[in-house]
Amino acid sequence: MTLAGRALVCRYGPTRAVDGVDVDAAGNEVLAVFGPNGAGKTTLLKALSGERMPDEGQVLLDGRAVSGADPGWRARLGLVSHRTGLYLRLTVAENLRFFAAMYGLTAGSRAAVEALETVGAQDLAPVRTEALSRGQRQRVALARSLMHDPDILFLDEPFTGLDPAGAASLEAVLLARKSPGRIVVLVTHDLSRGLRLADRIMVMRRGRKVLEGRAGRFDAEGLLARFTEDPGEVA
Amino acid sequence: MTSLRWIGLIAMKDLRQEFRSGGRVIAMLAFAVLACFLFSFSLDRSRVDGLDVAAGLLWLTVLFSSIAGAGRTFDAEEDDGAFRHLLLAPVSRHAIYLGKTVANLVLVCLVAALAAAALTIFFGIAEPGSAAHHASVLFPGAIGLAAAGTFFGLISRHSTLGDSLLPVLTLPVLAPLISLGATASSRVFLGRPWAEIGGSVRLLWAIAIGLVVVGSLLFRYITEE
Repeated sequence: MTLAGRALVCRYGPTRAVDGVDVDAAGNEVLAVFGPNGAGKTTLLKALSGERMPDEGQVLLDGRAVSGADPGWRARLGLVSHRTGLYLRLTVAENLRFFAAMYGLTAGSRAAVEALETVGAQDLAPVRTEALSRGQRQRVALARSLMHDPDILFLDEPFTGLDPAGAASLEAVLLARKSPGRIVVLVTHDLSRGLRLADRIMVMRRGRKVLEGRAGRFDAEGLLARFTEDPGEVA
Repeated sequence: MTSLRWIGLIAMKDLRQEFRSGGRVIAMLAFAVLACFLFSFSLDRSRVDGLDVAAGLLWLTVLFSSIAGAGRTFDAEEDDGAFRHLLLAPVSRHAIYLGKTVANLVLVCLVAALAAAALTIFFGIAEPGSAAHHASVLFPGAIGLAAAGTFFGLISRHSTLGDSLLPVLTLPVLAPLISLGATASSRVFLGRPWAEIGGSVRLLWAIAIGLVVVGSLLFRYITEE
């Protein structure tokens, strides 16, 4: 399985948040996207997931164009972001059952229980979400995103606010998902963790891709230096 | 069938949150009762018959209470970014819009019922007309208010002007609905026969359905970045 973005351009008014970016992600891989604030990482992720229609370019899955307007495409996606996307006044179980129904899972309650077990949060099911800590909410958010067993998992700064145990747990779940039929795209500021998790990396700056390659070729210090360089040729 | 299920689940989810937090429900209902209470003191009832003004005051109260509530339609969606995930789910935008409109409709109906009862009590109206006829007039009006409130609630939420934009957008669109509704309700209060009311009610339904259809068709465009 391959996911590709070709010549993607996303504009916010006169600003080109993503400026002609090509990106490739393959099954059995974690692609980490790095870059300073305002580099266009989250916008790129939104373009790939179809949350935002690119102004130019297209997104291809196994060579065929896909669009966020297609519910069949959206059903294959999972998203974990720094905001948990949970309804705070619902319990954890109610949140998961609701999203299970939105994804058409017939046995929503069982799917919710299994997803909570996957992230080690089964005891949180009856708790109102607003009563949870940031780390607990993020675990539940991960359970929600995995519940429908997505082929492609997008993670947008998922480690924000997590304690070391929570971050380690999230890492373990991500690594366990690696398989030929699954793609993980990770957007993060955390270079060390991103390099540890990723098979391939890409660095963005001012909307453009400035570097990409196998994760093993780079170290965090070297990548950090690329954050401050002018966008130029792809290495 | 799936769309109906989605609509029901989204509406139930919204209502469950609203009644748990209480904030929006209490604000809307309290506004309705308070407005009716104040109206009852502001009119010299030795010169003004309550029956003559009740319909106008009823619709004004329901309108402003609905607008106040509509501004908070998407509060729970934005608390921790849930709306982004709802939009990413393989649910049609129509279902999301209609589900949220149904939830708003329940709240507007509660406000309308309470306001009608409050006006009847505060104005001492002994014969307020047929309850079934009142419901027949108010229900399509409530659908129109909920449909417009849901649609413009999201637009104002995405605007830098925020909720202050909501009345500017909604009032011109709702003016025909409110004037027709007030006219029909006035006839109901005065005990006129259905033959004098039915035409207005049919027009109210036409406007309400039009607002729902247009809102549903345009909703996908205002949810795109």
